[in-house]
Amino acid sequence: MLMQQLVNGVMIGSVYALTAMGATLIYGILRILDIANAAAYAIGAYLGWYIYSISHNLLLAFLLSMILTGLIGVVIQKYIYYPIISKPNVIPIVPLITSVGLFTITGDLIRLILGPNVKEFGVVFKSGAIKIGKLIINPEWIFIIVLTAVLFAILWFILNKTRLGLAWRATAEDSEIAKAMGVNTNISMALSYILGYGFAASAGIMVGMLYNSISPTMGDIPSYKMLAIIVLGGLGNPVGTVVAGLIIGLAETLVSAYMGSILPRDAIAFIVLIFVLLLKPSGLVSKKSA
Amino acid sequence: MNKKLKSFVSLALAVGMTFSLSACQSKETAPAPATGGTQAPAENKDPIRIGFFAPITGAAAADGLSTSNSAELAVSIINESGGINGRQVELVKYDDALDTKQAVNIAQKLTTKDNVVAVVSGSYSGPTRVAAPIFQEAGIPMLSGYAIHPDVCKAGDFIFSQSFAGSVQGKAGAKVAVDMLKAKRIAIIQVDIDFGKQLAESFTEYATANGAEIVSVDKFAMADKEFAPVVTKLKEEVKPDLIYMANYYGHGAEIVRQAKSMGLNVPILGTEGIDSFQFLEIAKENAEGVILTTNMNRDSENESTQAFIKAYKEKYGIVPDMVGASVYDSFEVLFKVIADVGTEPTAIRDAIKGLKNFETVTGNLIEYAPTREAIKPVQVQVIKDGDFHYYGVVEDTEIITPPAAN
Repeated sequence: MLMQQLVNGVMIGSVYALTAMGATLIYGILRILDIANAAAYAIGAYLGWYIYSISHNLLLAFLLSMILTGLIGVVIQKYIYYPIISKPNVIPIVPLITSVGLFTITGDLIRLILGPNVKEFGVVFKSGAIKIGKLIINPEWIFIIVLTAVLFAILWFILNKTRLGLAWRATAEDSEIAKAMGVNTNISMALSYILGYGFAASAGIMVGMLYNSISPTMGDIPSYKMLAIIVLGGLGNPVGTVVAGLIIGLAETLVSAYMGSILPRDAIAFIVLIFVLLLKPSGLVSKKSA
Repeated sequence: MNKKLKSFVSLALAVGMTFSLSACQSKETAPAPATGGTQAPAENKDPIRIGFFAPITGAAAADGLSTSNSAELAVSIINESGGINGRQVELVKYDDALDTKQAVNIAQKLTTKDNVVAVVSGSYSGPTRVAAPIFQEAGIPMLSGYAIHPDVCKAGDFIFSQSFAGSVQGKAGAKVAVDMLKAKRIAIIQVDIDFGKQLAESFTEYATANGAEIVSVDKFAMADKEFAPVVTKLKEEVKPDLIYMANYYGHGAEIVRQAKSMGLNVPILGTEGIDSFQFLEIAKENAEGVILTTNMNRDSENESTQAFIKAYKEKYGIVPDMVGASVYDSFEVLFKVIADVGTEPTAIRDAIKGLKNFETVTGNLIEYAPTREAIKPVQVQVIKDGDFHYYGVVEDTEIITPPAAN
């Protein structure tokens, strides 16, 4: 049973990592805790569902939804966040509250346009579950884990091997100095939002596939759970976020499998967070080692 | 001239009022009767105002939509047939967003300014429980469509529940599990709110008293969706011969999907919480064979049940669910008693109390128990060919009569 539970945990953990990655990238550059990432997650899921329902092409649904949601992110960054954070002496809570507002509005907009009912996502994999001994693995899980790994590899490549990524890292390190050295920090910000919202969109689609359902309130839990994950991962650190997502996915799974329901699942992420922060206040992976 | 002016002014006022009402409440207030110039005795022609609240936005918006559809359907049908004793019915509708604070405000508005003769709750136990004492205090009867918490009706003698008590349904479920399905080792998966607790407690009580063993209880939060760990545990370690799900359709759909893909092939018994077309839609073929206790029998020969299903489908393009049917019943009860005794709230209360063997969409309402919870048979449905069908019915008096209030 342990093996099966580990697979369950890795699966859910990789979705968590992907969900929180968007917020991590945005925090890394703009120092905004962008709750609206959970809105991008829901928008992405709905776009993916719509594109899939007309094209029946899952890859196209992922790609197009990620691009469109990423572009929405750029527009929001340019016309909402940028004007707010570029005001002198703006306190960090202002963009945070803005993002909560954006998140709430998005959920209600989806409900008004498409109705409150849960929609069936409708991706069906033809092959049944794969059995290795007693271990059972659903084809969706393999798809999700592989796709998550591919997306992270692409992200790693962009951030570490391209000039764009170098500029992003420089801006994340110190945006004033980066600017002074001739880095176009606006492009770094746009990159954060394209990637951030795009990643959130892909996580939304995966969750839609996983539970075969999407709903206007699907972003509610990610909106706070991703905070625990990005803080645990060392705030703004992509590698840390992956590690933190996996730890929380595994912790939740193992607690509910072996300790029963003494704790609500959503509390586990925060309990892990408190323990880790007590031992290591900078999070699992501190900024320097990124 | 003077008369013409007067009727113009009254018409303008009526239009103005309709607009202001729709602005502050909802778009769906039935139009005030456009009497124009005809001057009839006022007390006979004014619309009868009935209050209604449901979680139209927020986490339970799907149930809110379902119940508010039913409320509007009931009102439009009665109005098309000429109203009650010649008076139209006007729905005064509010959204509580599944928020208890909101529900208190709404109850205060309904009791102080909206001039309603009775109220139907289309909401969950939380909002309904906090609103009930306010209606009791104001002496306005409230019928709760499907909230199952016993405290709702404890607010006082003006408060009624149209659904059977949670404890009734839990016991009926246990009877199905033990007697019909011969279960001996039962695993319970329950949502950790009033709804799940009530059902699981009474289920356990009856099942253990009748020879079955509860081998595991797993609780989870309302918003939880991840059941792979629990299903894995049930399959590999607990090995139950039946799973009882005291939860809603979102959870239920995911549990049956996981059970199928993990190869956990035991009977699954649900409750009215999964009585929704959404359950069928999300769970698909994994739902086949799932059995549930609920209040509406889709295969009923009962004319009003079939007429309701048909009218609802025609108007909204989807099939009604259990919460919708229960709210529809609440309106039917109110229409019936208002037609019989008029609009005086105390008379309405007494008439509801005295109602016996009233045919509703969800079957025969035998009567209201002294706790003012409806006594009616518990329907047992099975999912076959992607739809709900008759499996059985629990009618034993000792099960369907709610325990006396203490």
